[in-house]
Amino acid sequence: MRGSRPGFRAFPRTAGLAGAGMMLGACSGTQSALDPAGREAGEVATLFWVMLVGAAVIWLAVIGTAVFASRWQGRPVSERAGLRLVLWGGAIVPTLVLAALLAYGLRLMPALRAGEPALTVEVTGEQYWWRVSYRGPDGAAIESGNELRLPAGHAAEILLTSADVIHSFWIPSLAGKLDMIPGRTNRLVLHPERIGTYRGVCAEFCGRSHTFMAFTVIVMEPAAFEAWLARQAAPAATAADEGAFLANGCGGCHSVRGTPATGTIGPDLTHLADRAMLGAGLFANTPENLRRFVAEAEEVKPGSRMPSFGMLPPQDLDAITAYLGSLR
Amino acid sequence: MKLSFRITGRRLLYLLAGVGLLGLLVAWSGLVNIGASAGHWRVTAWALHAVMQNSVRTYALFEPPPPADLDSPAHIRRAAGHFETACAFCHGSPSHPAPILATVMTPVPPALDGAASKWTPRQLARIVRHGVKYTGMPAWIAPERDDEVWAMVAFLRALPDMSADDYRRLAFGDDHAENRPLRNNPLESCARCHGLDGNSAGGAFPVIGGQSEAYLRATLDAYAKGLRPSGFMQFAANAVPASELQRLAAYYASRPGLGRHSEPDDSDGSRIAFHGIPASDVPACESCHGDSARRRDTYPVLAGQDAGYIAARLRLMKEGTAPLPAARVMHTIASRLPEEAIEAVAEFYSRQRPAADRRDP
Repeated sequence: MRGSRPGFRAFPRTAGLAGAGMMLGACSGTQSALDPAGREAGEVATLFWVMLVGAAVIWLAVIGTAVFASRWQGRPVSERAGLRLVLWGGAIVPTLVLAALLAYGLRLMPALRAGEPALTVEVTGEQYWWRVSYRGPDGAAIESGNELRLPAGHAAEILLTSADVIHSFWIPSLAGKLDMIPGRTNRLVLHPERIGTYRGVCAEFCGRSHTFMAFTVIVMEPAAFEAWLARQAAPAATAADEGAFLANGCGGCHSVRGTPATGTIGPDLTHLADRAMLGAGLFANTPENLRRFVAEAEEVKPGSRMPSFGMLPPQDLDAITAYLGSLR
Repeated sequence: MKLSFRITGRRLLYLLAGVGLLGLLVAWSGLVNIGASAGHWRVTAWALHAVMQNSVRTYALFEPPPPADLDSPAHIRRAAGHFETACAFCHGSPSHPAPILATVMTPVPPALDGAASKWTPRQLARIVRHGVKYTGMPAWIAPERDDEVWAMVAFLRALPDMSADDYRRLAFGDDHAENRPLRNNPLESCARCHGLDGNSAGGAFPVIGGQSEAYLRATLDAYAKGLRPSGFMQFAANAVPASELQRLAAYYASRPGLGRHSEPDDSDGSRIAFHGIPASDVPACESCHGDSARRRDTYPVLAGQDAGYIAARLRLMKEGTAPLPAARVMHTIASRLPEEAIEAVAEFYSRQRPAADRRDP
């Protein structure tokens, strides 16, 4: 390697810096396992750092041994010493290290299951969105979709299942991922700690719009959460005209509590205007995007179960958009 | 004397070029008599006919198999009115066997009372769907409409045994005979098949009496503009002015027929109509087609519609052979409906007709 072309030597440094920059960029933000906002993600991050440091130490030891053997150790070692090295370095030390790491990893697992949760939320994966159902103080279900709100500092039990194919529920900032399997309920306990907005994703390829299957996670002050949940349980408060929404059949698939729209096929829209995103993390919730989703659901979200309603007269699309945008 | 002449490649080429040139010369001269009055030489007629017959036999292999209920009375009735307006003009009919214009055509359009014994159903379907070049026989306006092609085939198969009276009843309808004042009124053409009340005539036609006016208008408009494929209805709506189509829509919408609402019961069809099939993402039919005063008026009324028609439409929408804008939404939904569900829901809606309105022949 020594004495090779200078350009060649310069290249890895630039690439290394750029790569490191990109990796550091992924270390914080709304969707990073390295910037934990909850107890489980914190443990995952700690495990990751312990593993990383351990791996670095082992790597340095192995490379150091190799350099020592090739540069400074002039004469061959005896067969006896060689055998001892293989026995310790190849069998005994790795076994001890792996056993220790396994014990450490296993120790983390009960914590993921433990706890008497203050809140239970059922989340069902469907192609390509998330059905979210809270239990109110009286035990009644409060339906929502594509957004998960949790109180900071309290344990929340998430019951995960799927309506069609296997999905995987992953909020990198809060915890590890867990599969959602049709006909089976998986339990995940979250202890969100830091107030903020995070992003959850489907982490198991589930079809054409897998990449458009995300959701917003909002960790709130417990008091604010209680107030929000109480509001969520109430019917939609709107002054806008629901006529176009009902006449065009939207209520066949969607519910807006307090109106004749009681469909259960698609997401509950009772408080749609409160949500940050549309179409399971596809668009920001703006009137333009809302109209576009109604008119072109099958185009903007391939494989979407919702038909495109672009054939409706523009004034109907406007009226539906205005109505949905008013659902607070 | 002996002439010796050697055929060489070059001489052959000259000969071919000469013949070709002669042909062009004849064509250019205008001496070829293409008058229909001139008829064909026997050998030409024989050759053209042989080519046509062989072609039909071969291409019939690509036709789909006929439906099991091919010869049902509803199929026969369905094509009869169209036969009268679009076919009998050249081919004649039991009621008017020898149209005079046909006798001066080359080739003379055959009377069709022998067609069914000469051709198999698939061969008939081939001719009906694609027509015959150089004869004046047109193709089907909407070749993708298998159901219409088979209805016409069924009619052709029934034609040999049809009396003039039977024919008139099928082709002109019951209302027509006693309603002379309708002459030269576009309604006369509609009433031939749909009757004056827009009833289903034993399952041959959709019930259009009492249908939403906006829906009827949009449908007629789509037929007239070629947006909704139908060999029967595109032909019927083609020459009618838009104002007249509006009047016809208003007329049939005002007739008794379809019910105003549906009554749930414990049948499978009722469950689909009122609750959909949530597990397959099928919404309730009633959410768009139900009895809400606020229902979008271009969505058709289903209560009391003919079961065969609903099922056939759902199948067409499932296939995607219904490119109307709103039918795209129905394509998405119908593609999730299994055949049993289509039949159940069609049967349910056909039972929703108020007894007083029922007037099947």
